[in-house]
Amino acid sequence: MILVIDSLNKHEFPEILDDMFRLRGRVFGGRLGWEVEVTDGREIDAFDRLDPLYVIGLDEAGHVISCARALQTTGPHMLADVFSAILCGEPPLRSANLWESTRFCVDTERLSLGRGTVKGTVSHATCELMIGSLEYLRGCGITDIVTVIDPVMDRVLKRSNNAPYGYVGETVPMGKVPAMAALLDTGEERVERVRAFAGIEGSVFADATALARLKLREEVLATARAMQGEAATIAVLVDYLDAQLAAARTSHETEAVRLLARELAAAADGVAAAAATLLPEPPRLTGAAA
Amino acid sequence: MDLIDLGASPYSDGVFEDFLRQVCERLELDHAAYAGINPVSQTIHGFVTYPEAWKKHYAEKGFDRIDPTLEFAARSIAPVDWQRLATHPNFERVFSDAEDFGIGRMGMTIPVRGPYGDIGMLSVSARVGPERWKLQSEKVAADLQSVAVHLHDTVMRSDDLSRVLRHPQLSKRELEILQWTAAGKTQHDIGEILSISHRTVEVHLKSSREKLYALTTAQAVARAIALRLIYPL
Repeated sequence: MILVIDSLNKHEFPEILDDMFRLRGRVFGGRLGWEVEVTDGREIDAFDRLDPLYVIGLDEAGHVISCARALQTTGPHMLADVFSAILCGEPPLRSANLWESTRFCVDTERLSLGRGTVKGTVSHATCELMIGSLEYLRGCGITDIVTVIDPVMDRVLKRSNNAPYGYVGETVPMGKVPAMAALLDTGEERVERVRAFAGIEGSVFADATALARLKLREEVLATARAMQGEAATIAVLVDYLDAQLAAARTSHETEAVRLLARELAAAADGVAAAAATLLPEPPRLTGAAA
Repeated sequence: MDLIDLGASPYSDGVFEDFLRQVCERLELDHAAYAGINPVSQTIHGFVTYPEAWKKHYAEKGFDRIDPTLEFAARSIAPVDWQRLATHPNFERVFSDAEDFGIGRMGMTIPVRGPYGDIGMLSVSARVGPERWKLQSEKVAADLQSVAVHLHDTVMRSDDLSRVLRHPQLSKRELEILQWTAAGKTQHDIGEILSISHRTVEVHLKSSREKLYALTTAQAVARAIALRLIYPL
């Protein structure tokens, strides 16, 4: 399913955004070897600070499996600045109805380890993200997209009946693989072709039930991360609670995980408080003895 | 849309207000408002079609400081449908009053980000039900994006320094396509000549029009010739 995050709702989904920045770190910093800045495994650049619009693909458990970032071409965007090599120094296209899509990627590692069903494939995830991006942008009054992609993604688009109608500039080297700027329209015909290819019917966007579940997951994981204790222990607890949430089928079960997280946090705080009163400060070595 | 050509009009608040009224009429909206901040000239611009009484009330109550349709849209890149703000307490404060002045709650704000840190916001509203509004807003979104940028760009180049900064910068491809257009070739012809799809031709022409502050291709060609970017034929 697709979740759209922008300046209005980004405070509700810190866990998903962080997951997305880590996916970008693995893909652009790792697999594609682009010259991007990766800090703590997360790829975040200056354009992320401009409150762009993110279209994010999630698996059933709420993990990020694909993402793309949209910016206006009327203001600051990547083709005007960092990707100017693709345009051979020429000024970029600038139009109210044209947005730029960058950092388009799919988690090929997570998906290739998947169940092998059609739904877990790279192609399916790519198509779902494309449908979500095209439909959401069309709703914003955007008729065309210029997207910076690598030749592999270009082939994926062509194979899924979603071939770009044109390109701007040239294909230039960018790390381990080249990059290019492709043009796509957001028309209904294109979306229908992708839907037919991938066998995706109905809305791809997270509905009210899914949103409530995603918000609950954010709350549970935030509770766990705020716990007192060793970083490694907390990481294990976060993974455990996330796995419990993923396995939960009913709202009773998700509610039980929420309570468990709160109890664990309270217990951890209690242990930390008790430890502080019971354990004496370790002896300090002073003077010549040090 | 057949609208006032702002690119050729002398700068005056009256022209912009007339432009907004035309937009409302063409797109079946009740009201439109534009606010823009130009950090180069350090000026704030605002034009509205609202009745005088509402403008006065809005200013007296200091709604400009709390109006969520401005506050939240300023940070967004996508159009902000006011229904996303409806649960915000300040929305109720502003719009329960607005209703008394005949201003509807269904609306959206289209933010514009320009190249020099300039920000503009075009807000439109209508007194219709939520379902009708959903259909209507989907239908007019593309036109509103285009109108918002045209208006914003024109307002932002109203001082001399900004006009120099905003001198149109067209790519070789855009100029090539404009030159063939000036020679009377259709989009289809140009696509054949340059071996590119007609939609690629179209997206370049659209970009050229907007860079030249023109609403039609004919205006864009005329301006490109006047600026000696292409040759007259």
